[in-house]
Amino acid sequence: MLECSELYFNVDHGFLEGLVRGCKASLLTQQDYINLAQCETLEDLKIHLQTTDYGNFLANQTNPLTVSKIDTEMRKRLCREFYYFRNNSLEPLSTFFTYMTCSYMIDNVILLMNGALQKKSVKEILVKCHPLGRFTEMEAVNIAETPSDLFNAVLVETPLAPFFQDCMSENTLDELNIELLRNKLYKSYLEAFYKFCKNHGDVTAEVMCPILEFEADRRAFIITLNSFGTELSKEDRETLYPTIGKLCPEGLRLLAQAEDFDQMKRVADHYGVYKPLFEAVGGNGGKTLEDVFYEHEVQINVLAFNRQFHYGVFYAYVKLKEQEMRNIVWIAECISQRHRTKINSYIPIL
Amino acid sequence: MGSLFRSETMCLAQLFLQSGTAYECLSALGERGLVQFRDLNQNVSSFQRKFVGEVKRCEELERILVYLVQEINRADIPLPEGETSPPAPPLKQVLEMQEQLQKLEVELREVTKNKEKLRKNLLELIEYTHMLRVTKTFVKRNVEFEPTYEEFPPLENDSLLDYSCMQRLGAKLGFVSGLIHQGKVEAFEKMLWRVCKGYTIVTYAELDESLEDPETGEVIKWYVFLISFWGEQIGHKVKKICDCYHCHVYPYPHTAEEREEIQEGLNTRIQDLYTVLHKTEDYLRQVLCKAAESVYTRVVQVKKMKAIYHMLNMCSIDVTNKCLIAEVWCPEADLHELRRALEEGSVSCLAPQPGIKKRE
Repeated sequence: MLECSELYFNVDHGFLEGLVRGCKASLLTQQDYINLAQCETLEDLKIHLQTTDYGNFLANQTNPLTVSKIDTEMRKRLCREFYYFRNNSLEPLSTFFTYMTCSYMIDNVILLMNGALQKKSVKEILVKCHPLGRFTEMEAVNIAETPSDLFNAVLVETPLAPFFQDCMSENTLDELNIELLRNKLYKSYLEAFYKFCKNHGDVTAEVMCPILEFEADRRAFIITLNSFGTELSKEDRETLYPTIGKLCPEGLRLLAQAEDFDQMKRVADHYGVYKPLFEAVGGNGGKTLEDVFYEHEVQINVLAFNRQFHYGVFYAYVKLKEQEMRNIVWIAECISQRHRTKINSYIPIL
Repeated sequence: MGSLFRSETMCLAQLFLQSGTAYECLSALGERGLVQFRDLNQNVSSFQRKFVGEVKRCEELERILVYLVQEINRADIPLPEGETSPPAPPLKQVLEMQEQLQKLEVELREVTKNKEKLRKNLLELIEYTHMLRVTKTFVKRNVEFEPTYEEFPPLENDSLLDYSCMQRLGAKLGFVSGLIHQGKVEAFEKMLWRVCKGYTIVTYAELDESLEDPETGEVIKWYVFLISFWGEQIGHKVKKICDCYHCHVYPYPHTAEEREEIQEGLNTRIQDLYTVLHKTEDYLRQVLCKAAESVYTRVVQVKKMKAIYHMLNMCSIDVTNKCLIAEVWCPEADLHELRRALEEGSVSCLAPQPGIKKRE
């Protein structure tokens, strides 16, 4: 098919793309972060945020201001924007948005199940759930004893249903199994999302596929890192790796055999993109692997805005906004705990 | 002829304001609307400026006023808007106004909280009466069919002990009854069927009148449902599903006498609640009416006060002469008007006159 997205894209999605680009232009700049880092109290932080696009979002909060209130209000704001985009979208952009919410849904389901294991009440955990991943059947998740139960009873009519193919088993859900379930669900989700983007073709595939490949490889590295010293066997570990990234298949096989950080680093050295990332770990900034991955993610998300007429801008915007929220919460925590040595460890976006 | 298309000749003037009279002078200037201030503190961030504390105080007052206006509008009390807009309040009155508003806010919040609690209670009791009335018709049908379920073969992998318990059906039969949103009924029924694998019987009927939802306050249609189940585990699961769909569950009476007793008790309680609720609502209305008289003036006054402090933040401070220096753009034709405004401002504070230095 002719690659002529420029001719048809704006008919259905032009308004939303224009809107999301406007929202992206109002992300905080380096100057804003410098000003925020100079604040002495959370009240100062609130006053500075009033001069940005955030405006009076904390206006109706009674004293005292806490970091968690700021975090909740920011999330609510992002949610409102996201739901506005989704409510005004047409197919296939609507399916794209549904795919975006699936990752948050998976996190919420796992959070609720862990809470049920620890005998906490549903209401307590609902507060911690991510608002983008809310769905009606969510609260009934703690009735299920096994993954097949979970699927058959609760999740069969939600968008998460197709991801359960590899996860059906009769093992009762204890802590280890819940983590395995999370990783298997996420793997199926990433592969389905990748297939959707690739089938859509056009600029969306060109922009989204590298982003999702990086996400898959990052998952593989983090799973390997977290499994050092646990009872997870190497074969089990290999089944959890998403297969859509650059590391597949040789890299994943080598990673499954790795037993410590240096062996993992040697695997990464084979790949031109990941070698500099691993070399930046440690150093004088004390960066962890996750920090390095966040930085790389910010870079590729910003690049997504260099092309027009594709859905990747929406995905990139939500991820960049989340990074901005993480930055603000980091600075706010440093201020409120008066521990300002590492206050500049945020990741600037623009 | 060309002068028709030219704008007014402007000049840049420098004002020296004594710190004591600065507020009044700016208030007089603001009422006339003559000048535009230049920001002399551009490299200072907004939270490091001199009058930040006063701006915060104004914002706190604004927050209280927004809450008041919200409550007044919710109670459908007309808000009178004055014809003339009042000037910014002199500094002596500000503290008094702040205390008044804070006291009013605390009182209002308490009374509203009590009223909400009473209202919620009342709605729950009304829902309970409806539920009792409607489920009375369900029970008659169920009682006829009960004997046939004794032959129902147990599909659960329960131990032999439970099998014998199943025979004494009457003892293990449980009921859960309550109300649910109209929109959620289908999903609720489907999930019940999937989870309990047919061990429950669900009957429901629509309620004719729409009731208010105690949490959101909107008036919606409700369905009364009655679930009969047997097995304790099924009972737990049913309760969890009811929680998930935010149903209002009420205890189900097992005998007709119990039901009548409960209904009578509910009726008396409802009557009492109505009287108490009326009294609370009257008192709340009184408080709000009194507040509504002065709310409009206060809102305008606080806005003007905040604007004055924003302008004061733009002036630079001269520590040696203890005065504020402001740079303003002013039309040349209005310079004497500007002088008069400054005199007025400083006269109201009985202080020496400020100086104006003209600069092009």
